[in-house]
Amino acid sequence: MGNLNVIAIIMVIGLTVFTVGLAIFVRRFTRTTADFYLAGRKVGTIANASAISGDYLSAASFLGVAAAVYASGLDGVWYAAGFAGGFIVVVLFIASALRRFGEYTVADFAYGRFGSDRIRLVTVVMVLLTSLFYMAPQMYGAGTTWTVLVGAGLFGLSPYNTGVIIVGLIIMFYVMVGGMKGTTLNQIFQFWWLWTAMFLVCVFAFFAGNFSYPKALNEVTHEQHRDVKTATVAELTADDGAMLAAAESAMSPEAFESVQEVVDAGDPEATAGVLLPAKNKLHTLREMFFNEPGHRYDAFNQFSMVLALVLGTAGLPHILNRYYTNPSGSAARRSTFWVLVFIGTFYILAPIAGLAGRQIIDNAWRAGTAPINAAYVDGLLLKSDAIMPTLAQILGGEWLMGAVAAGAFAAMFSTTGGLLIAAASAIGHDVYEKYVNPDAPELRKVFVGKASVLFFALVALGIGLGIPAVGLDKAYPALIAMMVTWAFAVGAGAFVPMLLTGIWWKQTTERGAIAGMLVGGLGSFFFIIMNILKQLGNLPAEGTLSFLGSLTFPTLFTFPAALLTIIVVSKLDGQLPKNVDEIWMRIHGTAHERHEREMGTDKVGTMFSSGGH
Amino acid sequence: MASSAQTTAATVSGVQVQHGTHIDTIESVDAVFREQRKLSFTYGVIFFAVTLAIPAFSVWWEGWYANPVWGGFTLNYLFVSLLYYVFLWGLSYTYIKKADALDERLSHMADEIAAATAVNVAGGE
Repeated sequence: MGNLNVIAIIMVIGLTVFTVGLAIFVRRFTRTTADFYLAGRKVGTIANASAISGDYLSAASFLGVAAAVYASGLDGVWYAAGFAGGFIVVVLFIASALRRFGEYTVADFAYGRFGSDRIRLVTVVMVLLTSLFYMAPQMYGAGTTWTVLVGAGLFGLSPYNTGVIIVGLIIMFYVMVGGMKGTTLNQIFQFWWLWTAMFLVCVFAFFAGNFSYPKALNEVTHEQHRDVKTATVAELTADDGAMLAAAESAMSPEAFESVQEVVDAGDPEATAGVLLPAKNKLHTLREMFFNEPGHRYDAFNQFSMVLALVLGTAGLPHILNRYYTNPSGSAARRSTFWVLVFIGTFYILAPIAGLAGRQIIDNAWRAGTAPINAAYVDGLLLKSDAIMPTLAQILGGEWLMGAVAAGAFAAMFSTTGGLLIAAASAIGHDVYEKYVNPDAPELRKVFVGKASVLFFALVALGIGLGIPAVGLDKAYPALIAMMVTWAFAVGAGAFVPMLLTGIWWKQTTERGAIAGMLVGGLGSFFFIIMNILKQLGNLPAEGTLSFLGSLTFPTLFTFPAALLTIIVVSKLDGQLPKNVDEIWMRIHGTAHERHEREMGTDKVGTMFSSGGH
Repeated sequence: MASSAQTTAATVSGVQVQHGTHIDTIESVDAVFREQRKLSFTYGVIFFAVTLAIPAFSVWWEGWYANPVWGGFTLNYLFVSLLYYVFLWGLSYTYIKKADALDERLSHMADEIAAATAVNVAGGE
């Protein structure tokens, strides 16, 4: 265990107390299911945009984007651009129609649009699948951040498990107590906290670290890009010591000396951190530089990753549910514009932090002033996910480190809170209220919603604890970003084709939509599981199974396959709902909104009243 | 945009939704839907063309990914890290303005339909 960051821990505790306190305060205003799931449908444009941004910016964005840029240069910057670009798909094709339809959940939309119980249930299953995929990296981020920040476990547990359990319990409590109103208010606060933390890190880099964006980019590009790797002596000395020779060429003589000492000791299982020249996967004959593409992705995956990110955003149920909290379709569009402004500025800053880290952390390490809690190899962080807290501590001491640590927890709280609401509404609203006990009193429905939150929080907690147990953390070098991309892939396959055709193609039938969701959602799930099995070494190295396990981003296949399935099955089926014209007018008409505008009921109200609908 | 003749025809089709004094008919909604679809898909084509052009240039245009144009910025790095956001903001802002204007057109069209309905009823339809 390294230094205990007392100030940082106090700031994280302060954030937690505020979060829980706000949820308790809002509790008195949560009486109905509309309050619990939709904050009474009275969330204003800027407030909703802030809440959507808080919902969206998870640990992957706050810790992962800067880390990806730090480790991979330009290919890492794509995470930021792709995460932001996804909202264009939302605003162009989905936002206002979804709000005008005026229900609670994506499953409600599927039911209302296609008129069958089975499509609602299929949608519920897909919502739960996507939400669990997205909750897993948040829980993993909680464990790893706790490990960096505190470095100690409680009650005999490991630091990782302690972090997962504590963060999981806090989120469960505040979502159960505050519902969507409490979650919304918390997300607004949490978004602005983490935006400010990222902004401060960049400001400190420019003023305290003498950082210049174009100059720093030029300087890191002067030498070939290097990868950090922990290698065994056996690996280093294999093939006549090819890896050892590569490490010698990439490392400073002083740093390489310590590697040589480990090798000379002769234990083949002993490990050493080494730097190796990075390979260019895109232009294989070129050397790899920080400001060029190719560190992570070959030509196929350059396209596939972009599609997965921009389409996946429109398939995240916790983001889609947020559109129902807008007072009108037009407000839903305006919210999305402001989301793009808020997260766009955040995503411009995150790669700056990643690049600044490459330069400033290296300088601090060579000057002997780098924080001792992190592990380094010749000036580079051994784990790139530690860049934000490490850079913050170098630039602004424990206070800035505290702001960043609290920002990391805010990112996990806000995203997991939104996911729990989405998962709870899938069970509490879509199943219990519709099929189990439709006549239940309002208080009973809210109680079931809270019980669903409890259940899914415990499931998420279990997944978080299980990740290291099955070795996933060792199978993927950047696990948080990878797991988030899986959630994007499932959402993009399951929901986006159904939503696009449901909104824009009147001839879409219920059978077509179900078939498309199954092909897209389960197809993505299948490819992800195959990829995991391959990474864990459970598939043969060659052959069909190996090929099926090699697709890092299945969206390039699953999205068109789902879309095509919907079109073909709908054409063959031809069974449109009898009231398809009414449904169409509900999606695209505005009489209801114009009536509300005339009556003055479309105005943004206060969330501090109960019983709104 | 539907003419008044079209809107009159719409009211007699029998498929309409009324909230208070405000009416949508299937014909008027369909007419505006077609324009909304044209707008959304036009912007969608621009968005995907630009977004997918970036990896395409990264693969095939050396001047895009390998030549620094400002300090260490290549065109590729400059666009993905900064200019892409300006593109997203401009695209969404202009789209929202046009989509809101379309909503207004539907609103006026519906008002015409409501007025025509009132005339028809008064005339003993």
